[in-house]
Amino acid sequence: MSDWEPKIVAFLCNWCSYGGADLAGVSRLQYPANIRIIRVPCSGRVNPKFILATLRHGADGIWVSGCHPGDCHYIEGNLYARRKFTLLRSLLEHTGIEPGRLHFSWISSAEATKFAETARTVVEAVRAAGPARHFIKKQAEVD
Amino acid sequence: MRAYTEKIREAAKRLFAEKRVDAVIGFRKGTVPFMNEPFLAKDVDQVDQLYWDSNCGVNLANYLPKRTDRVAIVAKGCDSRNIVVQLLENQIKREQLVILGAPCRGMIDRRRIAAELKGKEALQTNEAGGKILVAGRDFETALDREAFLQENCAICIHRNPVIYDELVGDLVPEQENVDRYADVRQVEAMSPEERRQYFDTLIAPCIRCYACRNACPACYCPTCFVDEAAPQWVGKTTDPTDTRTFHFLRAYHLAGRCTDCGACERACPVAIKVRQFTKKLEKDVKELYGYEVGLSLDQRPPLDTYQPGDPEPFIK
Amino acid sequence: MSELYIAKEKFPDAVRRLMDGSRVYGPVLEGQYHSFAQLKEPEDADLSFQNTRLSPKGLFNPQAERMFRFSLAKGDPEAGIVKEVPKDYSPRIILGIRPCDAVAFQLDDKNFDTETIQDPWWVKRRETTTMVGLACNSPCGTCFCTSVGTGPFDPAGLDVLLTDVGAGYVARGITEKGKKLLSGMVGGSEVSPRAAAKAAELKKAAEGSLGKVFDTGALAKKSMLELFNASFWDEIQFSCINCGTCTFLCPTCWCFDIQDETCQESGERLRLWDSCMFPLFTLHGSGHNPRAQKLQRVRQRFMHKLKYYPEKYKGGVACVGCGRCVKACPVNIDIRRVARTMSAGCSCPA
Repeated sequence: MSDWEPKIVAFLCNWCSYGGADLAGVSRLQYPANIRIIRVPCSGRVNPKFILATLRHGADGIWVSGCHPGDCHYIEGNLYARRKFTLLRSLLEHTGIEPGRLHFSWISSAEATKFAETARTVVEAVRAAGPARHFIKKQAEVD
Repeated sequence: MRAYTEKIREAAKRLFAEKRVDAVIGFRKGTVPFMNEPFLAKDVDQVDQLYWDSNCGVNLANYLPKRTDRVAIVAKGCDSRNIVVQLLENQIKREQLVILGAPCRGMIDRRRIAAELKGKEALQTNEAGGKILVAGRDFETALDREAFLQENCAICIHRNPVIYDELVGDLVPEQENVDRYADVRQVEAMSPEERRQYFDTLIAPCIRCYACRNACPACYCPTCFVDEAAPQWVGKTTDPTDTRTFHFLRAYHLAGRCTDCGACERACPVAIKVRQFTKKLEKDVKELYGYEVGLSLDQRPPLDTYQPGDPEPFIK
Repeated sequence: MSELYIAKEKFPDAVRRLMDGSRVYGPVLEGQYHSFAQLKEPEDADLSFQNTRLSPKGLFNPQAERMFRFSLAKGDPEAGIVKEVPKDYSPRIILGIRPCDAVAFQLDDKNFDTETIQDPWWVKRRETTTMVGLACNSPCGTCFCTSVGTGPFDPAGLDVLLTDVGAGYVARGITEKGKKLLSGMVGGSEVSPRAAAKAAELKKAAEGSLGKVFDTGALAKKSMLELFNASFWDEIQFSCINCGTCTFLCPTCWCFDIQDETCQESGERLRLWDSCMFPLFTLHGSGHNPRAQKLQRVRQRFMHKLKYYPEKYKGGVACVGCGRCVKACPVNIDIRRVARTMSAGCSCPA
């Protein structure tokens, strides 16, 4: 158990957050290696199906990050996304997902430090939640 | 509500005579107690089959999306709000519809009655003076109507249709001081582990028949996410994770679109209280965005719009 | 032994003895409805039930049947080999199954157990299962078994038929398998003339309480093409919402889909219940869907049950009158009404 490392899937928007992650790398900022990044054109592209699919595959944590509201490359993608994520998170928590598994942030392409810090926060929160045990689909559990 | 039958038939006859509609969507009397069958009257000869009573819980707006003809439709409060949603979502045009508004005092929940009868079978039923009269093989009883309404009807605050061309009954007083979210708060008070167990138990009997989805007037996607194969988001077995995914995502797709008409719970063959998923989102949408579904043709649904100052307390 | 009487006080012990040698399934109340589940204690079985919500067909043709499994994992000695999934064929007893459901299995046999093709799981399960049925003393208002060639006391399809005569059960062995089971039963005694008379009286009353709801003879005489092209389907199909409720609950519906589910490096092939009511049921690989319209699907279901099956197998309809679809259909499409319309050839209101 002590050598378990959380696996976190991060959906980063191409224009801001992914750029921020890239800048963090180029700047040699240290952050935990538990993040697996999936680049999306916009945080508004993130469909709740993706988040559910990620949970079903056994990810311990999910992190979605986009541009700051008002700065979306596509003008309003993240504004729609904000409402989507609010309701999604609310329903996920209501139906029993452990707190600390689902994270959202606005990180611009210049905010390398924020990216590294948020990554650290997310990893620690997921580590505290423990390995994912529920909502995982491996083999169909049928008689 | 029996007088509605006469009014519905009269309106239908008149609309056919005036050639204002190609068909009338209503109900005809069911073949088993506490059920009525949705019915499409296509000409004036079929009008006398139209019928209305307190067992008309099916949401007739379910039959509207993608219709190309002109129809009259009998719509209760909830049904009319679903029509508003369908109009907002371009599933039907206002010009196609003649809405016969039916102010509703709540529909009877046949499962509650079955539970009350404890295994005895109801063979006949009638309604008089606020009482439901039930007769079976060797018993007869009168039940208080108010105590056997569908769960969503008991807490309904939109009994009168919000959009209509004519009414088939007088407007009824709306219920006041109704706590719509007692059950949601009960779950909110649970720990994550308890919540998970609660929902696991809730959907355990699910046989993935999709009656809930198909009965819902807001579920009209040509390809439902459960049928998407590349990639496949949900398996087709009754695996608990798959079943959970189905109910969760269906409820999520109804965020800001569900009118709590109860058609889903009514349709479920194994009596799952699927509204436990959608009620939470209804509460959220109300508290976060001040929106109630289906009340206005001038307001976009909450996920179709945004405000610069939308709350985001959890976003880092 | 072909007949014996078991007093109700002795019944739990008799069942317990059966449980020593077999897995015993009985009607267990789960929430609002009963379903056939394996008994942990004899008292779990509620024989005062009317019928289960889902038919017992799941005991022979489960909703998800694991057919094969396969793996590509490195180092797995069985990698690349498709392996059959082992099944448990130890003896089973289904206690309390209703005559209609038992007859339904005989109708299903025509599909799963033919001269040329046998479904291995179905056939093996049928062989190793003994059906101890319970006659219906008071059929439901939605039952119409006598209209479709069976009845509340019909022994066809059963190995043993129990009749509840009040203070106990009269048990009659129908097949060799059933007679053997009765020989091993504890707590039984001779059937008194009074018990036998009571059983006969109950049979008469139950059968008499069921009227004829439609004429299968008239239906058989109708031309298939005429029925297919009839105008009344338009009216019948309107209310259908194309859920799978009727097909999933029906004891004679057997249609299935086969799908592989994989997870990383391993997977399995599953056979799943499918429903002709689902719009994608007949979707071809080319994209063509011969039953894309609801009318076509609704018509197909009733024609299959009431016309195609009898014509193909030169027998009765593929319906046993259990009434589950009538009770559970969310929009009250009533097969009795449809069958009357079909046999009369007109749109009858009720």
